Amino acid sequence: MKNKRIFVVLSMLLIVALLTACGGSNEPGENNVANNAAANDAPANNAPAGDAPADDISADAEPVTLKIYLLDYTADTIAWLNSEINPAFEAAHPSVNVEITEGSWSGWDTTFSGFFAAGEGPDIINLGSEMNTLYGESLADMDAYLSEGAWDEIGNFGPALENAKYEGKLRGLPIFTAPRYVFCRTDLMEASGWTSGTPQNFADWVEFGAQASTIDKATNSLTQQALVPVDAGSMADWQWWLLVFYSLGGELYKADGTPNFDSTEALATTEFMLEMRQAIYGDALDAVGMLPTGQGSVIDVNDETGVDNGAVCLAHSGWAAPPFDRPIWENISIDPFYGDPENFPNSRPVVLAFNDWLAVPEYSENKELAAEWLKMAFSKEGNHKWNETMGLIPARNDAQYGYVVDSPQLASEAELAAEFGVGFAGIKEAAKLSTIMQEALGKLVTEELTLQDVVDKIQEDYTAALAE
Amino acid sequence: MMSNPYFNALLTAAGAIIFILATSYGLGVFASWMAKRRGATAKVQENTFAGYLFAAPWIVGFIIFVIIPLVFSLYWSFTDYRVISSDPPQWVGFENYSNLILNDDGFRQSIVNTLYLTVLGLPLQISVALLLAVLLNQKLKGERVFRMAFYLPVILGFNTAVLLCWRLMLNTGTGIINQIIRGLTQAFPPFGYLNRAAIYLQEISSAFFLGISNGNFNLLNKVIEAGFPAEVRVPLWVQSPLWSKMSVVLLMVWGCGTMMLIFLAGLNNIPKELNEAAEVDGATKWKQFWKISLPLLSPHIFYNLVVGMINALQIFEPIFVLYRDNGPLVPSAISMVYYLWQASFSHFEIGYGSAISWIILIIILVITFVQFRMQDRWVTYDLY
Repeated sequence: MKNKRIFVVLSMLLIVALLTACGGSNEPGENNVANNAAANDAPANNAPAGDAPADDISADAEPVTLKIYLLDYTADTIAWLNSEINPAFEAAHPSVNVEITEGSWSGWDTTFSGFFAAGEGPDIINLGSEMNTLYGESLADMDAYLSEGAWDEIGNFGPALENAKYEGKLRGLPIFTAPRYVFCRTDLMEASGWTSGTPQNFADWVEFGAQASTIDKATNSLTQQALVPVDAGSMADWQWWLLVFYSLGGELYKADGTPNFDSTEALATTEFMLEMRQAIYGDALDAVGMLPTGQGSVIDVNDETGVDNGAVCLAHSGWAAPPFDRPIWENISIDPFYGDPENFPNSRPVVLAFNDWLAVPEYSENKELAAEWLKMAFSKEGNHKWNETMGLIPARNDAQYGYVVDSPQLASEAELAAEFGVGFAGIKEAAKLSTIMQEALGKLVTEELTLQDVVDKIQEDYTAALAE
Repeated sequence: MMSNPYFNALLTAAGAIIFILATSYGLGVFASWMAKRRGATAKVQENTFAGYLFAAPWIVGFIIFVIIPLVFSLYWSFTDYRVISSDPPQWVGFENYSNLILNDDGFRQSIVNTLYLTVLGLPLQISVALLLAVLLNQKLKGERVFRMAFYLPVILGFNTAVLLCWRLMLNTGTGIINQIIRGLTQAFPPFGYLNRAAIYLQEISSAFFLGISNGNFNLLNKVIEAGFPAEVRVPLWVQSPLWSKMSVVLLMVWGCGTMMLIFLAGLNNIPKELNEAAEVDGATKWKQFWKISLPLLSPHIFYNLVVGMINALQIFEPIFVLYRDNGPLVPSAISMVYYLWQASFSHFEIGYGSAISWIILIIILVITFVQFRMQDRWVTYDLY
């Protein structure tokens, strides 16, 4: 009886071991040994996307799934990728199946930390502008596949390419340039009695904030907000602070690399944020209610009710802009943020340029395949079409044709970005800076901390964060 | 060799089942062998084998998904480990713990916020649960419908959809909660004074706690100086740091269904003859409740207090969904577990986050231990 038991146990263990060994033959890494060896020895071939498959990926290779993780794209974008790019790529690489997973910007950090902690996940991930320094160490060096010597089309990417680099090495490719400008409903401005257009200094902005905001007496809440800078409620978003700071000619870091939040520009920026908030909401303790949930962005009109969406001006990117075929565009102006030239001679018009990009993690065992897919999706036509589905400006300069030049709005955005664009890359410890600034700025608008306390706190905490 | 994904999935499932069976059997055999070594009879050995065979799936799961991660977490808490860095964990000893306790203002802030939710929110939650249970115990018509309605929030849980609805309801201007308050204020003017008084008291208490967090009481001074709120004032639920914690308390109270059921079971267990005898002696309903029902409910109150305290100290979802996209309000609402999430998954400092998790565990253990030690003073398990 005892021998029988032992025999059964040993048999079961043997079966489990055999099955585990068999299942291991499906791992992409093992199937791509030849591919990776070839990749290590020589860069990928320079054949333009859509041509004959790479020589080192044989049709007889084990099946491979190339996984791509995208964040918050339109249905049109995904449909285009699945109907055109992926089938073409799979036709060119018979043993490869492309799988797109759609995620959300809400909770992306938790998702990505899981990928990196596990050391496995998608082969291509969607990152934001400031994330090159955050994830750089864990991203693959793609110079061998995408740099000038490896891909002759790389030179067509504009300054946005810097967002996709870490320590001088390419880690992926930028998708678009999304400038964050100020766009205003000129009709609502005039209706409020404001006739001088988009304000061009701090004093005008504060006056405009009070004049163009309307309050419903019955609910003591806003029905129209003069300016919605990213976040309608608190008006204390860190990216809004950076836009204003850069417009004053501020530099985020001193020459020695330490933070520059103890500068006069930083104090002035913080003071302006508080004054704007108070001009619209009043004192913190007697603040009026904010706009109804869901209002404030996109700056548009409800066709059925004729009710405006609550914002007169919006400091945001094209995500908050209505579709370009909407008639409301006749009443929308697009401007940079002008700073405060009266008090700060170094002020300059600024448009924060965000560049979402696709990166290849170091853990990926399909780097060469990932590079091939990127080349296909980011060809001149691919980059153009990708951004056409979203109404954004392609990162490739040679892809800015057709809808980009035909649309007066996009043409204006592109001009603004080219002339006044300030990149959002290269921010050290971006996640910690965001937390530090949001905490301090939140206490600013509630007057828990004084102006000086706020900048001192950010300076101290950020310096400590960088020292770690 | 195997290219069909469905076949692979079936194979993986089969492998998992075989693994569970094999380990269960192995654990049973090991247990019976240990029993045999201790001199147990064949019958006892057989019973031991059977017992461990059936308990093994849970035991193995517990080891794999709880014990092993716990051990790793404890190790990482003594290291500097950034998950997105290519560097392995660096041993730093007690540095994470000392930084948390001595230097980290953010963590202290999260402790103060959690304390607010526990000290103010939990008693409110228990009180409302008790009140609902007493009402349901009156054996009125439709009792089952009401019981289901009050328990429904527990079933719905703090999932994202529900919490997003709460964001709509808590909007200062158009949210239904403030609309009801305005309506009542207009219909019953005395209610308006009550509303303003409640707002004033709430803002003072909240400003006090914020002052402890910030190390200065600027806001408290401003609240007191501003005086009695204006007539048009309503709670600024998800708009102001003075109200962010109270909005979470509201959600805690909304989810008191489980506590209510515990109290209801306790009330049903109280012998009727006790109340009848008291009624005969001339005791009022209130006196019957205060002198008979409440003392006999003490074990149930104790249970709800212990479980409620543990839940309050670990609160996360309501704060995450309500304030995740409202960065400036996060510091006023951040709880210890939210701070842990932020350190681990937003700043990617797994070592630091692990240290936070162990400190939270110690805090919960200490508080629970104190509660159990103090129960002898007020909890009675005797009926007569």
